[in-house]
Amino acid sequence: MLGLMAIPLLMTFYLSLRQCALEMETVTVEQSGPFGTQQIVTQRAKVDASGKTIERCEYVGLRHYLRVLGLDRDATDPPTNMGEGANATPSDPSAAGAATVAGNTASGSGKPANEFFSALRFTLTYIFATTPFVLGIGLLLALGAQQLNTRWRAVFITAALLPFIVTPVVAALSIKWLFRDNGLIPYLLSQIGVQVFWMAEAWSAQLLIVLYGVWHSVPFAFIVFFAGLQSVPQDSLEAATIDGATKFQRFRYVTVPHLMPLFVFVLLIHIMDAYRVFEPIIVLTQGAFTTSVQYLTYHILLQESNPFKASAASVLTIAGVAVLLIPLLVKTYREQRGT
Amino acid sequence: MQRSKPLLQWLVYAALALWLIVASLPVIWTAIISLRDYVDAFSNPVKWSAPVTFENYRALWIDREFYRNFFNTAIVTLGTVSISLTVGCLAAYALARYRGSLGFWLLLIALIFRALPHSTLLPSFFTLFDALGIRNTYFALIFVLVAINQPFTIWMLRSFFMNIPAELDEAAMVDGCSRFQAFRRVIVPVMWPGIVTTGLFSFLLAYNDFLLSSALTNAEKMTMPVAIANSISAESEALLMQGVAGAVSITLPLIVLVVIFQRQIVSGLTQGAVKG
Repeated sequence: MLGLMAIPLLMTFYLSLRQCALEMETVTVEQSGPFGTQQIVTQRAKVDASGKTIERCEYVGLRHYLRVLGLDRDATDPPTNMGEGANATPSDPSAAGAATVAGNTASGSGKPANEFFSALRFTLTYIFATTPFVLGIGLLLALGAQQLNTRWRAVFITAALLPFIVTPVVAALSIKWLFRDNGLIPYLLSQIGVQVFWMAEAWSAQLLIVLYGVWHSVPFAFIVFFAGLQSVPQDSLEAATIDGATKFQRFRYVTVPHLMPLFVFVLLIHIMDAYRVFEPIIVLTQGAFTTSVQYLTYHILLQESNPFKASAASVLTIAGVAVLLIPLLVKTYREQRGT
Repeated sequence: MQRSKPLLQWLVYAALALWLIVASLPVIWTAIISLRDYVDAFSNPVKWSAPVTFENYRALWIDREFYRNFFNTAIVTLGTVSISLTVGCLAAYALARYRGSLGFWLLLIALIFRALPHSTLLPSFFTLFDALGIRNTYFALIFVLVAINQPFTIWMLRSFFMNIPAELDEAAMVDGCSRFQAFRRVIVPVMWPGIVTTGLFSFLLAYNDFLLSSALTNAEKMTMPVAIANSISAESEALLMQGVAGAVSITLPLIVLVVIFQRQIVSGLTQGAVKG
């Protein structure tokens, strides 16, 4: 089990330090067309005596990291030959693609865009924007559902689980169709005088992704809190009532402390999940305006067909999640040991 | 006490109802427009009722041969669930009966791997499978899904196994069962609810996966979400409507699943909270 996960990780690290490329040679091709003969200079793969392409691998140190971080001065992407599946695109347009992905308007010319940091920035924004809503709405729903009788509870829980269960791509697509031009929401908004083209601007596209995140993650928080509320010790509540506590005081001093570990748990899981945000990004904006760290790796791997640079991006991603979670993990660990 | 404040009570109901609408609106609206022509589905002003047509579904399932994607999803999902449950049950049983402080470390590892974005494993698997020439096979996809799923499965199953007293397998072994027979004939039947719950989550992971499936499969091996995602950027109206129909087709089995297994999903979600 460990091997299944650890070996790919080590391999990722190894790959991120290397670069394989076909050896290319420049050739001049004469092309006869209707407008006379033209001489075109192109690149083509060098072949050895047996007709096979020559692949040269080298150790490139931190070059991919620098490139992903946008610190590399000569940001010319050497063509790679890996991943020539159906997804492979010629690597020339990939440089332009990288610039647009970074969500940076200063594309192409000028200094290379800092892809990783802009991806990380949006990912963090997403985490911090969704977390309070997920926790808040989840708790309120759980408190509300307590008021329902048993039969309605089951119905409510089933229906409320829906956003959590639906395939993320499909959910993101549904939201996209809902917010599309001529979709339902823009129409309703225009009735009250608000006109927004949701996919066309950065702030609205980002807002949409955050909305998706809240919509998708609330059910989890709700279910966990709801289960927690069922196990609040009834005698403590009664004792508090006898001691003259108001409803709010009972909630504040009995229920909340009881739910505290669950808060930490939901927070932890939500941060992990939010760090992985991917589907809404690829569906709603296709990398324009917003990227996430996970999208970045995916994009470099498949669109730029550069597994080495993608590996560098994913190693940085791992570093990011470690930095993000270590304080929380240490805190949880201490609490576990402390009690 | 609570009956004395009917206003507050109604406010609570209203808020819950509002959330239900928010939660189900995208799904319901997609279902509604999937039964319409493009012109009726996206029109200004929005049409609340429109002629019902099944043309989108027909075009998707018959013309675009969506059933192939359905079979791909079925194979991948079944493969992932059965392999990860088989391996997971054996490993978790061993770990649960092992006396030592493995529990905390296992939890930690499961947690760490849960925190890892899936895409971090992708470059190496991608390169490896390319080198071996097995990218775009069911095997490759199932392998990766099982690998990603396994820590979670083992951890979850282990906590279920821990609830079964060791006396039970001892009793079975006194009665003449071998270790394996005790496991197969006595423990597994008792474990059934736990296995169902864990299986459900493996199922959801495999069924809902897009990142790995889209990277590792293409053409005739595409799973349903990947096939649908191809219509993301489609400006073609017919393709878009097929995408809408496909979205509904993907969601329907999930809704059935939630209705049937609501209890198991809830218990699985809260498992970590209670034990963790």
